[in-house]
Amino acid sequence: MTTMDIQRPDLAAMEAAADAAARQIPPLWPLTSSVAVNPYLGQVGKTLAETGSLLGRIGGVSVTMPRAWYQERMASGLITDADLSAALASCRDASRPADLEALKHLASEPVAQSGPLATVADLAAKAGGTDWPALVAERVGIWAAGYFDAGQALWAAPRGNSAWASFRSFATHDLTLEIAGLKGFARLVAEAPDTPEAAIARAVDSLDLNEAELPGYFHQLLFELGGWAQFARYQLWRAELNGTSDRTIVDLLAIRLILEEALYIQYRSAIAGEWADVRAIHATPVQTELPGIVDAILQEAAERAAQRDLAAVLADAAPRKDVSRPSLQAAFCIDVRSEVFRRALESVDPSIRTLGFAGFFGMTVSHKGFASDVEELRLPVLLNPGAHSCSSDASSGSDDLVSRYAARSKRAWGRFKLAAVSSFAFVEAMGPVYAGRIIRDAFGLRKAGVPNDPAPRFDPEPDLETRITMAETVLRAMSLTEGFARLILLAGHGASVVNNPFASGLHCGACGGHSGEVNARLLARLLNEREVRKGLAARGIAVPEDTLFVAALHDTTTDAVTLYDQDVDAGAHRSDIAQARKWLAAAGRMANGERALRLPHAADGSAIARRSRDWAEVRPEWALAGCKAFIAAPREDTSGRDLKGRAFLHDYDWHQDSKNGFSVLELILTAPVVVASWISLQYYGSTVAPASFGAGSKLLHNVVGGIGVLEGNGGTLRGGLPVQSVHDGEAHVHEPLRLSVCIRAPREAIADVLAKHEQVRTLFDNRWLHLFAMSEEGGLAWRYDGDLNWVPFESVAEA
Amino acid sequence: MQIAFTLLTLTGPLALIAAFAVSRFDPGLRPERTHLAAAVAGIVSLVAAISGLAGLLLAGPFTWAAGAGALQILSLRLDVLSVTMFLLVSFIGAVVVHYSRNYLDGDPQQGRFTGWLCLTLAAVMLLVLAGNLVLLVAAWIGTSLFLHNLLLHFSQRPGAARAARKKFIVARLGDAALLVAVLLLGAGYGTIDIAQILSAAHDGLMPAGSLWAAGFLALAAILKSAQFPTHGWLTEVMETPTPVSALLHAGVINAGGFLLIRFADVMLLAPGVLAGLVMIGGFTALLGGLAMLAQPAVKTSLAWSTIAQMGFMIMQCGLALFSLALLHIVAHSLYKAHAFLNSGTAVDAVASLKRPGPIAIPSGKAVVRSFAIALAIYALIGFAFSYDTKSPQAIALGAILVFGVAYLLAQGLADAAPRALTRRMAVYALVTSLSYFLLHTVASWMTSGTLPLTPDPGPLEWVLIVLAVASFGLVAFAQALFPLWSDHPAAAGLRVHLSNGLYANAVFDRMIGNWSTRPLLSANQGTDQ
Repeated sequence: MTTMDIQRPDLAAMEAAADAAARQIPPLWPLTSSVAVNPYLGQVGKTLAETGSLLGRIGGVSVTMPRAWYQERMASGLITDADLSAALASCRDASRPADLEALKHLASEPVAQSGPLATVADLAAKAGGTDWPALVAERVGIWAAGYFDAGQALWAAPRGNSAWASFRSFATHDLTLEIAGLKGFARLVAEAPDTPEAAIARAVDSLDLNEAELPGYFHQLLFELGGWAQFARYQLWRAELNGTSDRTIVDLLAIRLILEEALYIQYRSAIAGEWADVRAIHATPVQTELPGIVDAILQEAAERAAQRDLAAVLADAAPRKDVSRPSLQAAFCIDVRSEVFRRALESVDPSIRTLGFAGFFGMTVSHKGFASDVEELRLPVLLNPGAHSCSSDASSGSDDLVSRYAARSKRAWGRFKLAAVSSFAFVEAMGPVYAGRIIRDAFGLRKAGVPNDPAPRFDPEPDLETRITMAETVLRAMSLTEGFARLILLAGHGASVVNNPFASGLHCGACGGHSGEVNARLLARLLNEREVRKGLAARGIAVPEDTLFVAALHDTTTDAVTLYDQDVDAGAHRSDIAQARKWLAAAGRMANGERALRLPHAADGSAIARRSRDWAEVRPEWALAGCKAFIAAPREDTSGRDLKGRAFLHDYDWHQDSKNGFSVLELILTAPVVVASWISLQYYGSTVAPASFGAGSKLLHNVVGGIGVLEGNGGTLRGGLPVQSVHDGEAHVHEPLRLSVCIRAPREAIADVLAKHEQVRTLFDNRWLHLFAMSEEGGLAWRYDGDLNWVPFESVAEA
Repeated sequence: MQIAFTLLTLTGPLALIAAFAVSRFDPGLRPERTHLAAAVAGIVSLVAAISGLAGLLLAGPFTWAAGAGALQILSLRLDVLSVTMFLLVSFIGAVVVHYSRNYLDGDPQQGRFTGWLCLTLAAVMLLVLAGNLVLLVAAWIGTSLFLHNLLLHFSQRPGAARAARKKFIVARLGDAALLVAVLLLGAGYGTIDIAQILSAAHDGLMPAGSLWAAGFLALAAILKSAQFPTHGWLTEVMETPTPVSALLHAGVINAGGFLLIRFADVMLLAPGVLAGLVMIGGFTALLGGLAMLAQPAVKTSLAWSTIAQMGFMIMQCGLALFSLALLHIVAHSLYKAHAFLNSGTAVDAVASLKRPGPIAIPSGKAVVRSFAIALAIYALIGFAFSYDTKSPQAIALGAILVFGVAYLLAQGLADAAPRALTRRMAVYALVTSLSYFLLHTVASWMTSGTLPLTPDPGPLEWVLIVLAVASFGLVAFAQALFPLWSDHPAAAGLRVHLSNGLYANAVFDRMIGNWSTRPLLSANQGTDQ
């Protein structure tokens, strides 16, 4: 053997490489409770250009738009020379272009897109003429779909095994690869070690790999598995949040490696030379190259152009500040979709005030719905639940049971419909009934109901002291400690769509991909409690006797707002609520009209409601497409300005917060800002690299295991956003721009928080997010320049 | 009057062909003219189908030909079979066209897609209405050629190309089989008029080659309706937009069964061929049903379900229960069209399974009791629907379906099932049985006179009947006990083999080099690519 002299990596090194590779993969949440994830989560320690080099090498993935996209913007004047110069100046890379002319010249040159490094499967395909990469993806997909299935198949794959054991059991029986020409595969798997670690070691040995080659190669194999590896990474994420661990993703690596091993054994003589070349490249460190640096500068310039726009909008004359008591206060989620509605609502009547706060309203609950045993994590995925709640109580006991029986009958009927022999009886007896269902659905007569469980309550109820603390924390975090109106709405949000596997992605991300009414109703209940009010007063927050909190749900698809006033004793506020309903309806019509302009085949606002019931509608709403800014400031800094539904708006008053050591600022930067960055970068990744970070076309989606989608027949699970969610057929609806975070607070206070939170600082230092400090006049004043330094924001005039 | 109704009926396919023509000028993004033409054509074809029904009620059944000689190839047949199929196809067609409008919105080739959709529908309509062999063959071949363009809507996807290639090969074999059958029929009976052939066959006329003709008809049907071992392509054509799947599974795939029903009188002349259909159909039904159970992806599961249902329908044809086969086609198409178009609800469906708590799993005792009760219900209802007039084949089929109903009862009889669930399951089982027998009676009544009656079974038929009842009964029993044995290690291997459809597809792929990296045959190119 020629490999005798090579020093094989030891087990610890292999485990470390496998673990590091696993952490390069972003997690993927199941579609029942999906939230946006930053696809570059494993690369936040790198800059965009560095990430581009890495992902280009292992995945053939670009991290920016094609050059033509930037060229178009330069030609049309959207990106100015000043933007380019500023972006160039901000580039830290030593090999950056010398000056503006050089940059523009380089930008006009076409870029040669190189594919990823070859795997053994690629080399074997070239040598043997069989499409092994496709076969490998197909077979791993077939197994993984069964393994991760949450209940689609009536005959589920055997449970309770590790992924590695499950795959071995599958692959020792499955003859498909042998029939396709991979000889002895079942036997190789049968004789493989029992532990994935030992199997990885054996494969590493067979493939002649040494230590320096492992990180890149392992990362590549997991990256190729797409959503399957991401879903396993999600299991690791959940486990670590709970203080445990999970090995599934390492098992997946072992599975992919044994396939490489088998192919290498079969094709060794033909591909050994080429494989040695590939390995040699894996062993060299990833370096940024000029085209990638130019791409990153152009991207930066596009973002600076957008920031100029934003600064101009914010610099508009502020409307007068009305200090009288508002007739209605309405708190909405920071979600960019709220901006349109809040602007509309405020314009309906000048006495209406709106606020922005993360839509879970500080209620980090694990919730059981009515007649349900399922624990829904209705909180940001970065956090662990702080309380339990449920929507059933003693009085609803019999209703709960009746509802469960109905659901169980439906389930039994579903099993009858799908089982092997009974499916024939089902079709012959009930098939004709479906003519009616087709008509019902084709005419959009099926309506997605508004969530309307009985009022939720904490279970168990925390003691009074804890409840008062919860209430105080939320109100301070909302900067809502004075000036309470008679009626205060706490509006969560959710979408109403039919026949849409991505429905949870349209719901509230801060509520873990659920609609937000449960959290809002819990908070409203808490804040209406007499005892809690007393406790709050003792802590310096005096809520007037006549203030009533009412929970609401903003339907982002139709802009209808449902009030949960049945939860509260509304006797004295009946007219306030009636008036609020009128205002909300008027605001809904305005918001519909504005949104119809952006949506395809929506002639006017009245077409919006129908879309939510159309089973063929692939773009019921644009969700968060277009998001580009996050603003934490008092509402008067943004009210009256048209932010076009592209900004997250978080109410924040640093004057109050400074008294508490800027704890709210710290919260904002570590929680909502991070969540917003995940959303922004998910849109970014799905737009610039749809093949790797997007979910493909809805036209081909094949829901698998109740957890995700395949595109077409099979292969990899697809995470990210479908192409229909970022593109309208003619142009991208989402401009891929990294989020601009604007905070009205002293620079030192912001820098202190960054210094304290390394992971958040990394996001800004590597410019996955832009950061601005706003002045007391409300405009952008300072730009964060990395390393805790600030530079004055360029004057708007230079545009 | 016949001319008037025929012409009215003909407006359906003609309007769809016109919509196709419009699409050639408006093939791209947001094709307003194509949309308009397709929507109008959808409505016209629905009206045409209703006029066909009126024609049948007022003047039919009849065959109308444009003239003698060569003009004979323009003859349409209006009878219960063609009108039923026409109503079905135009209804599903109109829904699919309507669905595609919003679903494909923003697709750069939406106009082209809509055009081929309309043309495929027109071909299916002409197929079911054909009054002569020539039009029948032309429409049959046209259907699959036009569909090919829809299967390659995403022609750059290797998976789409692989599936379409497989389908192309199977379809051409099917075309060849039909062509041979038709030549034998035409030569043997000396006419291309289908009604004349049928009436001659009905009278027992068996010219040379008629047995072969029946055999080739059966072969064409097996190839068209994705029977084992040629089913592989059907589980892979999810590489095409959802509405195509709906059309394919609810319209095109039925052509095999339609062919057998259309030529029922000829098929009855060849009991050996029918026996073969019972075996192939029955085996495919059971294999497909079991493979479906193990599919974790919703559309793949639906595709296996179609294979199984087509197998069941082919088995019904083999048992000479043609009216029931027609009922099965209609019922299955409506169900499957909805299931595909609605497949985006799968996430919600799976999520809702766990909410109401654990599933009550029936014990062996409960399953035995449920089978006994189901058979008792069958006996009772059977008397109500008068057994004496039913053939043994029909009674056997009813028994098979009642085994399925037993599964409902078994779930209600599980020890852990609350009384409320037991009651509901009993009601469901009763309603299902009643509905099924009612529909059977209606189907038999409607088709009497058009479709031949089921002949008395001979020894061969008796063997097949017993075999079918026993094997379906066994699988039904195993399925009811499912959670008790499916986790057993020995079942793990069985699950893998069954979920792969016993590798027939893998072998087929290997034979045609479908995983080759070399450029595939030109069959992968759509005709206007």
